[in-house]
Amino acid sequence: MSMPYEMDRIIVTGPKKAQQKVIRELHNLQVLHIVEHSKDEVADIGQPLETASKLSEFMVKIRALITALNVKEEKSEFKLKRGLVEISQTIKRISDEVNKNSEELREVEGKLSKSQAIMKELEVLKNINIPLENLSSYKSLAFFTGYIKDEYDLEYLNDKLSATTNKFTILKSTVKKKLFLVLFVDIKSKETALDILQKISFSPVNFANLSDLKGTAAENLARISKENAKLENQKNSIKKRLEKLNYDHSGFLITAQNVLETELEKAEAPLKFAATKDAFLVKGWVPTEQLQDTMQKLNKAGSNKIFIDHEPAKIKDKVPVKLKNTKYSKPFEFFINMYSLPRYKEIDPTFFMFLTYPIFFGFMLGDFGYGLVSFALFYFLKKKIPKWTAFFNILLLSSAASIFFGFIYGEFFGLEELGHFAIPHLISRSHGVTELMFISIAIGIIHINWGLIAGFINIMKGHGLKHAIFEKGSWFVLETGALLLALSYMNLVAIPKLIGWIFFAASLVMLYKGEGIKGIIELPSILTNTLSYLRLMAIGLSSVSIAVVVNEMAEGFFHGGGFGILTGILILFIGHLLNIVLGLFGSFLHSLRLHYVEFFSKFFEGGAEKYKPFGAKE
Amino acid sequence: MALEGVGLIAIGSGLAVGLSAIAAGIAEKEIGSAAIGAMAEKEELFGKGLILTVIPETLVIFGLVVAILILNLAG
Repeated sequence: MSMPYEMDRIIVTGPKKAQQKVIRELHNLQVLHIVEHSKDEVADIGQPLETASKLSEFMVKIRALITALNVKEEKSEFKLKRGLVEISQTIKRISDEVNKNSEELREVEGKLSKSQAIMKELEVLKNINIPLENLSSYKSLAFFTGYIKDEYDLEYLNDKLSATTNKFTILKSTVKKKLFLVLFVDIKSKETALDILQKISFSPVNFANLSDLKGTAAENLARISKENAKLENQKNSIKKRLEKLNYDHSGFLITAQNVLETELEKAEAPLKFAATKDAFLVKGWVPTEQLQDTMQKLNKAGSNKIFIDHEPAKIKDKVPVKLKNTKYSKPFEFFINMYSLPRYKEIDPTFFMFLTYPIFFGFMLGDFGYGLVSFALFYFLKKKIPKWTAFFNILLLSSAASIFFGFIYGEFFGLEELGHFAIPHLISRSHGVTELMFISIAIGIIHINWGLIAGFINIMKGHGLKHAIFEKGSWFVLETGALLLALSYMNLVAIPKLIGWIFFAASLVMLYKGEGIKGIIELPSILTNTLSYLRLMAIGLSSVSIAVVVNEMAEGFFHGGGFGILTGILILFIGHLLNIVLGLFGSFLHSLRLHYVEFFSKFFEGGAEKYKPFGAKE
Repeated sequence: MALEGVGLIAIGSGLAVGLSAIAAGIAEKEIGSAAIGAMAEKEELFGKGLILTVIPETLVIFGLVVAILILNLAG
């Protein structure tokens, strides 16, 4: 049974002169969980150290560079030789270079996008063989450019215009399957032409970007694409230069960012302190086992000018919690962190979960083959994603339990016999459903009582024995009563039924005294909670049923031979893959749920703050 | 007649699981969406949200127990 680490509350006070040294030492020690001071009549919060503004300025620059150069966070092998001086000089140098290149890049990209707009317009005019300067306003001539529907409309236009004037020219070309035309017409007939054009649903096109160009569209197009190629080259070379800058400086940037983060943390620490004009005060929590060492080192750092007060944490204090677990059960802290941290002096359920979680998981998945597959998968993922090692360790342990239960059930990918060899088993899941039901219920009763005992201990520590007996002991009395009633009604023991009822009534009274009316209302929950453990059997049963169905379907195809064998293999593969995924999800969640809902509700309250010592990295 | 009886028993147990699963689904839908909403505001509520969301799941377990009892009745 594990408890969180014992903590001591400490208060460090001293003159402002010693502040910086104390902060540096605290950051170094990484033991003090600082409780932030909030402003009151006695003392304001402290001012950040003088270096803070300079540091944050560097920080902003570094972050801007990291974004500009698209630096990925990786392990960097960079050594800063001259600390902050080096950082400030190098930042300036890199900034200048990056800014120069980025500006050039922006310029080139601007030019490129402009000439792309021009090219788009030129494409339309490509097959119209007139100089572009002709498409400007005249005194005696009007012109229209745009699309019409088809050749018939063109003829119509031609006829109608001929009727009014003979001073007009039409140039045409097909652009993207549409008919594009340029119409020059005598200015006097402009209105008439416009009327006709409107009738044939003419859609005009404007060439806003072409006003400065001379020569035909085709000539211009050739020239501009040549220029564009040059610009593209230029763009690529700038990009390469930026990439090289990234390659050269990513190590420095990441290292500098880390260094600055720590320095900034130190510089801004006084914001959490209480401060008067000449003195500072820090409150916080330190694990008891590190208390003496911490005090000694702090006194040394503060050249004995500071004063440290300390007292052991009381159960009602808001103590930050640091979980204490062995190497093996440590991964299961993941589940506790996800749920809620135990309060100070409350039982830490990590070790319990370490014992039972894999068993429940294995009980449900329980197949030698599935266990092996998931073990291999999680082993691979663990190597691939080191950040989630703890999580995958849980799953590896659970997979191992699945393999173990696979032996007990004698199951290999849903098969109970390989060829004609029947795999030996202790209990068969597909045939011994009733037995498994009873085993599940039995596990439930044990687990829930385990939780109740833990709850009894928790309450005894927190509120005393009397409370514990009324609140948690009453459930044991209730269970005894239920057991006696069941036995006597089934005539298995020769005791009057009244005794069972007395126990039952006594438990009700105790519950009412312990938890009030809420306790009575919660009475049926003990039954539903116990029955809830039937899922141990149910999830496994569904998993094994699907596996059997997949196997039988595939077997049918195998008898067909030839192409059927291929289909059979495909069905086996997809079917079992699906079932493994379903089984893993189901087993993972339901095992977790049995702990969170049925088990934890018996003893666990949680809600503590996590112990985050000043200076420690996540 | 005997076959018909077996069929009815199978339908009965199927209904026991199926209907209770639908009921649990409806209940969980409401709780789940509320829990996700709460989590979006405050991430620490994950544990509590999960617990509240899965409470109706017990319905299905009861359905399953009933189904198995019906099947056992058939022998």
